[in-house]
Amino acid sequence: MKGKAVRHFGIALCCIAAASIQGCAASGDNGKTKIEIVQYKPEAASYFAMVEEKFNAEHDDIQLKISSPNDAMTILRTRFIREDYPDIIGIGGDINYSYFVDAEILADVSDYPGLQNIKQAYRDIDEALELVPTEGTYAVPYVANAAGVLYNRDMFEQHGWEIPQNWTELQTLCTQIQSEGIQPFYFGFKDTWTCLAPWNAMAVSLAPADVTKQVNRGETNFAKEYREVSEKYLSLLQYGLEDPFAYSYNDACTAFARGEAAMYPIGSYAIPQILSVNPELNIDSFVMPANDDAAKNTLNSGIDLQFCVTADCKNKEAAYKVLDFLLAEENLQQYIDAQIAIPCKEGNFTLSPMLDGMNQHIAEGRMTDYQDHYYPSEMAVDAQIQTFLIQKDIDAFLKKFDTDWLRYNRDIIRMVQDYEKSQGN
Amino acid sequence: MKNERKTTFLLITIPILALFVCFNTIPLIRGVIYSFTNFKGFGSYDWIGFRNYIDLFTDARVGKSYLFTFKLAVVTTIVVNVISLILALALNSKIRAKSFFRGAYFLPNILGALVVGYIFNYFFTYILPAVGAMIGSDSLSKSILSNPSSAWLGIMVVCSWQAVAMNTIIYISGLQTVPEDVYEAGGLDGATGWKQFRYLTFPLIIPFFSINMVLSVKNFLMVFDQIMALTKGGPAQSTESISYLIYNNGMSGGQFGFQSANAVIFFIVIVTVSVAQMKFTGKKEEQL
Amino acid sequence: MKEGMMNKKTNWTAMVVLILGLSAIAFPLYMTIIIAFKQPAEMTNSVSGILSLPKTWSLDNFKEAMRVTDFWNSLKNSLLITLLTVALSIIIHSLMGYALGRNKSHSKFYSFVYLFIVSGMFVPFAILMMPLAKQTAELGLANWFGVIILYVVFYMPMNIMLYSGYLVNIPMALEEAAKVDGASTWRTYWKIIFPIMRPMHATVAVLTALAVWNDVMTPLVIMAGSDQNTLPLAQLNFQTQFGTNYNLAFASYLLSLVPILIFYIICQKQILNGVVNGAVK
Repeated sequence: MKGKAVRHFGIALCCIAAASIQGCAASGDNGKTKIEIVQYKPEAASYFAMVEEKFNAEHDDIQLKISSPNDAMTILRTRFIREDYPDIIGIGGDINYSYFVDAEILADVSDYPGLQNIKQAYRDIDEALELVPTEGTYAVPYVANAAGVLYNRDMFEQHGWEIPQNWTELQTLCTQIQSEGIQPFYFGFKDTWTCLAPWNAMAVSLAPADVTKQVNRGETNFAKEYREVSEKYLSLLQYGLEDPFAYSYNDACTAFARGEAAMYPIGSYAIPQILSVNPELNIDSFVMPANDDAAKNTLNSGIDLQFCVTADCKNKEAAYKVLDFLLAEENLQQYIDAQIAIPCKEGNFTLSPMLDGMNQHIAEGRMTDYQDHYYPSEMAVDAQIQTFLIQKDIDAFLKKFDTDWLRYNRDIIRMVQDYEKSQGN
Repeated sequence: MKNERKTTFLLITIPILALFVCFNTIPLIRGVIYSFTNFKGFGSYDWIGFRNYIDLFTDARVGKSYLFTFKLAVVTTIVVNVISLILALALNSKIRAKSFFRGAYFLPNILGALVVGYIFNYFFTYILPAVGAMIGSDSLSKSILSNPSSAWLGIMVVCSWQAVAMNTIIYISGLQTVPEDVYEAGGLDGATGWKQFRYLTFPLIIPFFSINMVLSVKNFLMVFDQIMALTKGGPAQSTESISYLIYNNGMSGGQFGFQSANAVIFFIVIVTVSVAQMKFTGKKEEQL
Repeated sequence: MKEGMMNKKTNWTAMVVLILGLSAIAFPLYMTIIIAFKQPAEMTNSVSGILSLPKTWSLDNFKEAMRVTDFWNSLKNSLLITLLTVALSIIIHSLMGYALGRNKSHSKFYSFVYLFIVSGMFVPFAILMMPLAKQTAELGLANWFGVIILYVVFYMPMNIMLYSGYLVNIPMALEEAAKVDGASTWRTYWKIIFPIMRPMHATVAVLTALAVWNDVMTPLVIMAGSDQNTLPLAQLNFQTQFGTNYNLAFASYLLSLVPILIFYIICQKQILNGVVNGAVK
């Protein structure tokens, strides 16, 4: 009895104290429409600070504020739970986006005219990311990245090596490089997420693009679709260091920058870190030639940054103005130059020479989204791949993949099946 | 007189307890409520009864993380307390440059996780194997962090390295409560060295020993920073601690509800362990 | 008695142990310092490369690190939060530790409250995080003040354990003597008990300050969306998934290490000075 009374008293006390503090908070207002963006790439913070300043100088009716916090996903989740939504969020095209669409946090932007200029390939990726198909469009793709193989251009030219076009050529090349006493690949598998880079790059050419959706609909399983990827991945290991699990992403970047390996199978996002160690390094990249049929090799490219207007945004028109500004050619070009990104917008943009080897695929739109954008992060597929590469047991790995998939995606699978039923399939 | 004392104690206790309930107990209850849902951390959710709890007991990954965490906690607690007791005794004895040593031994505790992570990663990846190769030891010439069966040792070393400072401080402040005349009396009886420690010093600092044991077990059972800095759960998911799963899959992943259930069970487990510990050392205190 | 201590000979066994142990600290510290002075282009994967001295001893990394973290502002926020938390902790936790420590052995209520609060230490922060984010926002506490309140609550269990553990060795006779003189319990506490606990205040101050100084999660979650940064929050700037500037980060960590080290050295003197039995006699 006593304890209970004490608690009630305490709660009352807390509330009084809190209320008195809240009363003090007041804010000034200058009559402008306020638009707040939270975007998740802190490495681009200086670009966005520039955009903010430029935008505010040109507009006197809208006050733009862009924050590029660290650990933005935690901050976003925290703010969502407080129901304190920014007007626009800048996130990647991955499963978080799928969840946000599903949670109805985002506004339908299909009436945004700027969408017409976005490349169809990337708009399709966003559609595909929706857990179940919806009527609307919920994101404006901004820039993409691509993952394949980075290589040391000078080293290749010096030794007369050619970019491989298919799997056999890649193997021949690796053997050739090894025979000349050079390390073909450097892996940084100590950081589990790097295990996903070669995996994604190969899986796009070897497994169906919508394999996860097929599995969710019960049409196939991973043991079948991912077997070839797994086998080829294992055979890549012989071209790496003896104990790739000892070295981190950072170690691998440093080693590649110092010319300790000819190639590094990682995404374009690693280039700034590599250049920080060796700004002189002449890097180029090529599409991972996982398939023996060169025509079937597609570039692994996904949306790195896209802008979503939240459902809570009070002034969509102002938000669209901000989007227009972000998508303005000269601004976008600046972002591309700073981050070695690929624009999602149609137009005449200059790409970094470090993406030369991928240019053709980009121009032709032969691109497929990262498979891991469909994996729930808590399933830890990256760690499972690392385990597989250590234990080298394909059957056990794929079996676990299938059972874990069903376990971690239980609610989504049920949702998909309900949807299928409602569509009369 | 007696009543005045009672009232004063109540007037101290109740508001502070209320504050505690407000910002610890109430959010905890809210968290427990989430454990009965499939909440992702945002958006809508469904009530799913005890499904999370049932899943928890059939999840091999969670089971493995409990084994790993307890192994790490027990070993690290022992290592840390032995080292910090020795250090505290040494730092409390008559030595030169006392402030310097006390300052120096405090440093590991303030270096940020990023720095500690980088340096020890470097140490385990490059320096230790080089030393191992030099002395011709096969097992040492490979990075211990890349081997699923030895990675926990690396984490143990780093946890100990960082935690020794805090436990030493607590032991030192405990040693201050030991009156000097106890030693003088003991010295007359011929108690020196180990005997003096075992029969004179140690019994007097048992409250601090018990605090340190509880804090150590708690800190190492909840180990998170060192895992993030060193292995991020790898290699081969061999170093996933319970807190790592709760945080990574619950906060960053979409398993908020499930990991809340994990956290609830984990909370119950630690409380049980710690209460047992306190009961045990409490008995010791009375015996001595 | 103090005289006796002074006259004791230097304990050389202890000195040897301490000097040997020092290598375990000196080596990482050496690495931290040289990395803080190097340029990214000087980073290598070879043992000799990483142990070599930087090419030039320039303070550029430190200047740049201060700029990136908005050092003085972040420092101000960190100091404000840390010092206020420590002050509140010493007052509130020592009082509570006293009330519980003196009563828990003979009162069911107090021993329950003691266990109840101490068990709060074991609540995984992850489960509190989201509810707290929501609750602090509802109460208008999504700011540095809310962070301080949370810290006072978070470290209450540990500090109460420490205070009531310390009280075991402080004889009741002291209080009873004061009571005979007609002083109230409240007065007795502030006049006699509180000053005697000085070594424990210093210990609590060090432990609390340390935990607060390095904490990232609480300010990250509670102050999310405000423009205030603490030092550890600002230091997240050096680290992104795809690239970390270790040189700047190390310089920044060295900078943020200085204030807390000074604080520790000051407190350490207090731990030393307050030899309890001197007061008891």
